[in-house]
Amino acid sequence: MKFSNRDRFLAGLVAVSSLGALGALGLLAVQATSAHEPYTKEELASQEKELLAAVDHGRDLWHGSNPSMSSNGLACGNCHPDAAASNPQTFPKWQADLGRVIALRDMINWCITTPQAGKPLDVNSYDMISMEAYAFYLYRGKQISPGLATEQTSPVVIKSGPGYPKKPSGIGVDK
Amino acid sequence: MLSRRDFLTISGRAGLTTLVASAVGINLGLVQVGRAATSSKVTPFRFAILTDAHLFSMPDHKFDVFLASAVDQVNKTTPLPDFVMYLGDIAQNGRADQLDKGKRILSKLTMPLHFIPGEHDWYLDMGEAWRGHFGKPTWSFDHKGVHFIGMNSILVRDFWTAAGMTPKQRMDTMEMLESPICGPWGVREEQLEWLKNDVKKLGAETPVVVFTHSPLWDYYPRWNFQTEDAPQIREILGKFERFMSFHGHVHQTVYNKIGNMSSVGTLSTSWPWPYPDVPLPYPDMRMNRSDPALVMDGLGGQHIDLEANFQGTMHYDPFGDMLKPAIKSGFKV
Repeated sequence: MKFSNRDRFLAGLVAVSSLGALGALGLLAVQATSAHEPYTKEELASQEKELLAAVDHGRDLWHGSNPSMSSNGLACGNCHPDAAASNPQTFPKWQADLGRVIALRDMINWCITTPQAGKPLDVNSYDMISMEAYAFYLYRGKQISPGLATEQTSPVVIKSGPGYPKKPSGIGVDK
Repeated sequence: MLSRRDFLTISGRAGLTTLVASAVGINLGLVQVGRAATSSKVTPFRFAILTDAHLFSMPDHKFDVFLASAVDQVNKTTPLPDFVMYLGDIAQNGRADQLDKGKRILSKLTMPLHFIPGEHDWYLDMGEAWRGHFGKPTWSFDHKGVHFIGMNSILVRDFWTAAGMTPKQRMDTMEMLESPICGPWGVREEQLEWLKNDVKKLGAETPVVVFTHSPLWDYYPRWNFQTEDAPQIREILGKFERFMSFHGHVHQTVYNKIGNMSSVGTLSTSWPWPYPDVPLPYPDMRMNRSDPALVMDGLGGQHIDLEANFQGTMHYDPFGDMLKPAIKSGFKV
């Protein structure tokens, strides 16, 4: 098959236009943030700040900052201090009460609507992402293991709080 | 090589059964973790413990029903307990109406009641309403040969004045189990002095039982599963052949022994706390993970039978089936 000069001309126009469009998109992307390493220290600090802002917001929600998430006064933190026994690393998994495999966000909404008798979060909302950020952040370093949680697990111990030892001192040992 | 008989003899000694059972992955049924009896005479009797109702102010809240169910359960116990001990956290937010509601529900018990406070009862008004409802937080009495002691173990250092917090902000801070602000609890100097005086004239053989909201050992300080001056308490009570400690706050089954103390944690009537990520000396005493779809799973009350030689048998009385075999039929304390 042979291309006419007109065809080549039109193809050239399309190519040039596309490159222009891509170039414009590229410029926009650079203006937001670069997804290319190496990152500058400032870029990394900015990313960390945004992540921790979501974790902090999630911690507040976890402890009752949004009244619509509960009608009986209970917050996630009542049963899951430090997100203990929430086991985000085991999702997706079978949830017996719902009778299907669910993601952590579905479990969060189950807890909000059932034990807390509250209104569920929009699964695509910043609130929900923040709740997940909080739970996953506390379990950072834990092995991802989708399936059944047969044992309660607790998160990585946080190094904060005046008067607390840096690590739990364990069995019957007083400092 | 040990014969099976030798093995059972050795493993049956006080304190070894659970450890051996745990090590070899078997279960030997009723766990014998009690200590040698004291030489003192006790007239055998039973007492019950209820704790951690965390009542909210809303009417017809599910926790009201859970506490009422526990009260019914105690009233149906045969034989009946001589008295019921309440180990703190009747209220969730320290409000007088919550304490009042708790007192009203507990008044359906057909036997005498004794109280100590938890942090949820205390930090809205620094215990004013609680004392108005239940009296002194520090006390002792003798019953059928046993010396019972109650203390307020939830006292923290003042974190609110310098920060300019309102009473509600102070209460909110204390309500969060993992709050990084409030610091560790304790009974503090005044109660330690009171304790010294209280036991001064008692002989070493006296059977002693102590009630506090928090455990008298260093279980998991981040969640205040501890009492900061527990070592001093254990030292003061070190003169006794043995003593038993019962505590609330942990909302779970847990057991430990340190020196002459056996320590037992109790089930709540509100929600179960998960086990923190630390090894336990008696892991078989842990309850099963509760199912949040079963609204009363992981909750309940408990009762203790004391025998003539001050041996005790601890019975957890959960609303549902949630005890591991090692503690299902009770265990010696």
